[in-house]
Amino acid sequence: MPSDFIIIGMYLALMFAAGIFFSRNIKSTADYFLAARSAPWFWIMGAVWATNIGFLHGYLAHGGAAYEWGLIQANFEWFQGPFGYVLTGLFFIAFYWRAGVYTVPHFLETRYGPGIRVIYSIGWLIFFIITIAAELYLGGMFLKNILHIPFWPTVFVLAAVVGTYTLLGGLGAAIMMEFVQFIIMMVGTIPLVFILLNMVGGFEGIKDVLLTQWNVSPQYFSVLPDNHHPYGPGPWIILGQCFVVTVGWCAGHQSMVQRNLGARSLYDSKLGYVVAGLPKTLGAFLYIVPMIAAPIIFAKHGIFVEKADAAYGKLILNLLPAGMLGLFIAGLVSAGLSSISGVLNSSSTIVIKDIYERFMVKGKPDHHYFVAGRVATFGIMVAALLLVSVVARSPLIMWLEQTLLAILLGPFMAILILAIFWRRTNTPGSLTGYLVGSAFAIYYQQVLGQMVFFKISWWSFVVALAVTIVASLLTRRPKPEKIEGLTWESDFHARVGDITEQRAQNNGTKVTQMPEIKVTIPPWYLNLKYWATGILLVQLALLLFFG
Amino acid sequence: MEEEKGANPKIIVAVQMTSIGIILVILGLTVFVLSMLSMSGAVPTDNAWTPYIKTCSVISNTGIILLGVAFAIGGVARFKQAKKQE
Repeated sequence: MPSDFIIIGMYLALMFAAGIFFSRNIKSTADYFLAARSAPWFWIMGAVWATNIGFLHGYLAHGGAAYEWGLIQANFEWFQGPFGYVLTGLFFIAFYWRAGVYTVPHFLETRYGPGIRVIYSIGWLIFFIITIAAELYLGGMFLKNILHIPFWPTVFVLAAVVGTYTLLGGLGAAIMMEFVQFIIMMVGTIPLVFILLNMVGGFEGIKDVLLTQWNVSPQYFSVLPDNHHPYGPGPWIILGQCFVVTVGWCAGHQSMVQRNLGARSLYDSKLGYVVAGLPKTLGAFLYIVPMIAAPIIFAKHGIFVEKADAAYGKLILNLLPAGMLGLFIAGLVSAGLSSISGVLNSSSTIVIKDIYERFMVKGKPDHHYFVAGRVATFGIMVAALLLVSVVARSPLIMWLEQTLLAILLGPFMAILILAIFWRRTNTPGSLTGYLVGSAFAIYYQQVLGQMVFFKISWWSFVVALAVTIVASLLTRRPKPEKIEGLTWESDFHARVGDITEQRAQNNGTKVTQMPEIKVTIPPWYLNLKYWATGILLVQLALLLFFG
Repeated sequence: MEEEKGANPKIIVAVQMTSIGIILVILGLTVFVLSMLSMSGAVPTDNAWTPYIKTCSVISNTGIILLGVAFAIGGVARFKQAKKQE
């Protein structure tokens, strides 16, 4: 369809041009890695939502899983909203701000020392490069299937566009593109969902056809299925998903946290994260519920779907008129590219801030690290491109991604919670706990053959928590001045400036643009507590209705 | 190490808003024009729902254009305000 090609081509050209235009405003590392700490709360909300929705996570993969497994897939949206975003926004994000850091590994070093920073940085860097390669692969396959265009040239064009605007514009450009995606997907999808539900007689109509006429298992409509469900048993969803994976993802994923550190104030950062819980919660209606209705539409029109991942593409291809289809595909491409952009920018931040500046080349002018950031962005994109062919040939890559996540998130949550809520936790304790927890995650999967991701995350969290506590108690307590300002009980309000200044000097850097800690009374409609309560009530209502 | 003096955060947000607005307006108008030209106007699974699907497309597209206009105007206004304060 030529009109769809025109729209997608124009969209890619606009992104490319916007990246170049935006780059004229980028002058320092704070501009490049943290968007000059300029983002208001609604920017954070859109960016955090959009960076989490790509080819790999979101419409295609999550939609495909919903097509295959049913409503259980909504857990990723309904629990991550209230648990991940709200809890992180309320309890964790402020500590990153108070520590005056650019990255999550930097926070871990500030609290625990350099060892944990190196291990955590390398783990996430590997994960990020695999993620970019997988996103490029899925994007290339999606466009190949839907528009019948060759795979490799498509992958190179996608990489060139996203690489250029991220390399030139940094986090600011990434946030900009994420917000475009947020609007297109929200405005473009919601009316379609209503039409789709009307076509199949609403949610009750879907249930009636699938349960009564097709004899589908009632588990297909269960948000928390029983303990024997192979994809995600209910109790483990609550333990592993709610308390470890979603919070760990939101508080430990550099790409997510970096958007918050780019906020114009701490309050904007917290509010942006909490409010992002709402589109995340409602996200289930954009690609989970339509995919549950999709089998009925496909059956009615005799449409054959060979693979679950291709189901969403088939649905829009057969439902939308030309022009709108192009815009929708552009929105999906945008989702993939903004995810790549976010991860790419975060990878270069980790490379420069956590490895290069910290351990390799200290004390150079800011411009040196700014240029190095762009070189790192280019290098990471090349590495990911080289990995695309491996991803294309190996189904193991998805397994590797999940294994890495299980290794990273469980132990991370244990040492993060203890870092903030227990002053007694020390460096040897955290390092031992993290390493033992990670080793246990690998052992549990590889030797004991556990394949349920939530179980691995939960038990690696428990093991890391126990080992950290025991090892900390057996070794010397940390010096009070080392942990001042970083724990829940700390009296940081008066002294945060002195503390961060001292820490920056100890690390061999002097940071002049510290984030402002403003204490202001927001209007009632921007009150954090109201938003958090509202989102929790929405979640409760959804569980009561669908559970 | 001293960080170099960075960009004005207010100008950054203004540029972002304007760029988002321009992108949305251009995209929305392109979709609108191409749909009007009916380069391939029919809904693939043509049925009784076709008029609703087309109406839904028009509503979505209008929403995108209007939001784009709002962002562009807001961005330009913020830019002027930030420049005045500099």
